[in-house]
Amino acid sequence: MNTPDILHHYRQLAADQTTMAHDWHNRRQLHAVMQVQELPLPERGQESWRYTPLPPLLDTAFQPAALEQDLLFADDIEQLRLTPAASLRIVLHNGFFLPELSNLPDDGSIRIESLRSALANGDKTVQAHLGELSGEQSHLFHALNTAMLGEGVYLHIAAGAQLAQPIEVLHVSLSFASEYLAQPRLLVVVGEGAQASIVEQYASLADVLCLNNTVTEIFLHAGANLEHSRLQNESLRTRHLASLYVQQAEGSHYRNTTLAFGGAWSRTEFHVRFSGTGANCRLNGFYLAGDKQSHDMHLNVVHNLPGCSSQSHFKGILQGHSKAVFDGNIEVKPAAQKTDARLSNANLLLSRDAEIDTKPRLEIYADDVQCSHGTTVGQIDEEMLFYLRSRGIPHAQAVNMICTGFADEVIGTCGWESLENLAREVLARQLAAAMVAGG
Amino acid sequence: MLQVNDLHASINGKAILNGLNLTIKPGEIHAIMGPNGSGKSTLSKVLAGREEYVVTSGSITYQGQNLLELAPEERAHQGIFMAFQYPVEIPGVNNTYFLHMSLNAIRKARGEPELNSVDFMRLVRSKLKALNMDEGLLKRYVNTGFSGGEMKRNEILQMSLLEPTLAILDETDSGLDIDALKIVAKGVNTLRSPQRAMLVITHYQRLLDYIQPDVVHVLSGGKIIRSGDKSLALELEAKGYGWIQDYQEAA
Repeated sequence: MNTPDILHHYRQLAADQTTMAHDWHNRRQLHAVMQVQELPLPERGQESWRYTPLPPLLDTAFQPAALEQDLLFADDIEQLRLTPAASLRIVLHNGFFLPELSNLPDDGSIRIESLRSALANGDKTVQAHLGELSGEQSHLFHALNTAMLGEGVYLHIAAGAQLAQPIEVLHVSLSFASEYLAQPRLLVVVGEGAQASIVEQYASLADVLCLNNTVTEIFLHAGANLEHSRLQNESLRTRHLASLYVQQAEGSHYRNTTLAFGGAWSRTEFHVRFSGTGANCRLNGFYLAGDKQSHDMHLNVVHNLPGCSSQSHFKGILQGHSKAVFDGNIEVKPAAQKTDARLSNANLLLSRDAEIDTKPRLEIYADDVQCSHGTTVGQIDEEMLFYLRSRGIPHAQAVNMICTGFADEVIGTCGWESLENLAREVLARQLAAAMVAGG
Repeated sequence: MLQVNDLHASINGKAILNGLNLTIKPGEIHAIMGPNGSGKSTLSKVLAGREEYVVTSGSITYQGQNLLELAPEERAHQGIFMAFQYPVEIPGVNNTYFLHMSLNAIRKARGEPELNSVDFMRLVRSKLKALNMDEGLLKRYVNTGFSGGEMKRNEILQMSLLEPTLAILDETDSGLDIDALKIVAKGVNTLRSPQRAMLVITHYQRLLDYIQPDVVHVLSGGKIIRSGDKSLALELEAKGYGWIQDYQEAA
């Protein structure tokens, strides 16, 4: 498909929504349908899409996934889950929220329900927040997700709640259909002073060919603390586009660790802004691009208010004919005095055929700030390799240890052992496979 | 055990060793002293198998085999251990894990059973205790953020775990305070046995107060220009390396 065909396809999908019997509680959805008709296909002339031409990735006319009954079972969830069986769990199948396979709360401090029903019930918070962040400066796929809003998931944690166990969010890709479009949508609101963690996993139970276009909006109220770990381990044919929006109120803390392993192509966007001072945001990322894979990481952290801090620390390992893009943009607005912003990106290239395009950008318009950024691109350090080999560790194992250690500085920040161990397993498997394939 | 014959080696096309001869027998401790740039570290790296050092001529025979044909890990499997002058930081790799993998790789190569975590921890704790070292080093990443003294202690811990047949200490004493120096000496002296040999490379005589060498060599200009017993080290300390230069010119 060429660009006009691709645009026509997605515009038609959005337009079809208006013929459905939706109750248009959410004006933002209607607005998004209109946006899709007007927005161009992101193209390489735009800075944040410069290194990734989209048409080859969208060469198939992905059709909206239908809810397929009797395909995903409790046994599958049992196999995939990373938290204890009794933990709260949100299960999404090709973007559809499945309450019957989820583990929903019965106490009042946590609410998990579909966005559609929250809107229908006139929930003021959902009405105010859904699409509030993603609607700004959106590109075609943000708008498409909002335009085609299905059930979606709303997670609300009441003010003051202190959760001892993480809430698991499990996205499962599995379908009899091929070439489908899944569009998970999440809205997370963490109340004042509440403390919670989310363990999120994207998994494929079959070698599906899909476009997974996910949008997550997260609002942290004053003093809230959210730890959010994400593992993307989808099939090698998946096109995975994840857009994450975070707004942090005064004194709130947000920590995100995102691990990108799967997909033919994945792009993760982090959009962070502040609605109060003294907030802290930590973004950690690791990507492993195997042969023929590509991963894009885009950061857009806007320090719009004074006295907030952010630390963004991303690392990647590239093998074979692979590619990765790191586009880290930190903007410090004139009002944002006393900002402390750190940004780093380190890459390990295990192959001559791998390509990394890394571009840390700091735009600073305030004068009393502390900001730094750094980027490294390198191969396996010969000194490290020799040190390990001189201790009897064979060459292949030494390379493996160095790579694992390199990645572990990020993986180890997940704070949830079973997720970390799964990530380590996936990494070890892929490193070993590449070793067998000869690089 | 080790026979180095007319060894010439260079790095980046620059000749560093120019006809070095050295014979070490089991049970012996040899010390090599010499001024900066004399080729001390090059010798240790050539023995350990660092590939960027190119041997242009000469031979090294270790326990009857051509050492130069062996990869660094094979040399370690055969019992060669070099304590690095500048140990390498490996971020993200836990020190305990590294020590365990190292010991098991060597045990496996020797046809000995690998140690499980429990047995390994028992062993490493006993080694730490024998060296008066605390366990703090085990939990950290390999050499990462270690002080100079901690790095050298970690080298000695590895040496005592791996129990090499030929241990090479490359200026392990440089920059150490007296307590750390005693740990190094203790590590070496504990390993001392009729089956093992050591090559202690040092710039100063100080370490040799704690480790009694059988033979002292003076290295200068890429070859050994004098060998003697322990008194040679004392003479060198008293007269300085300038004396060697004069000695060479006179010869």
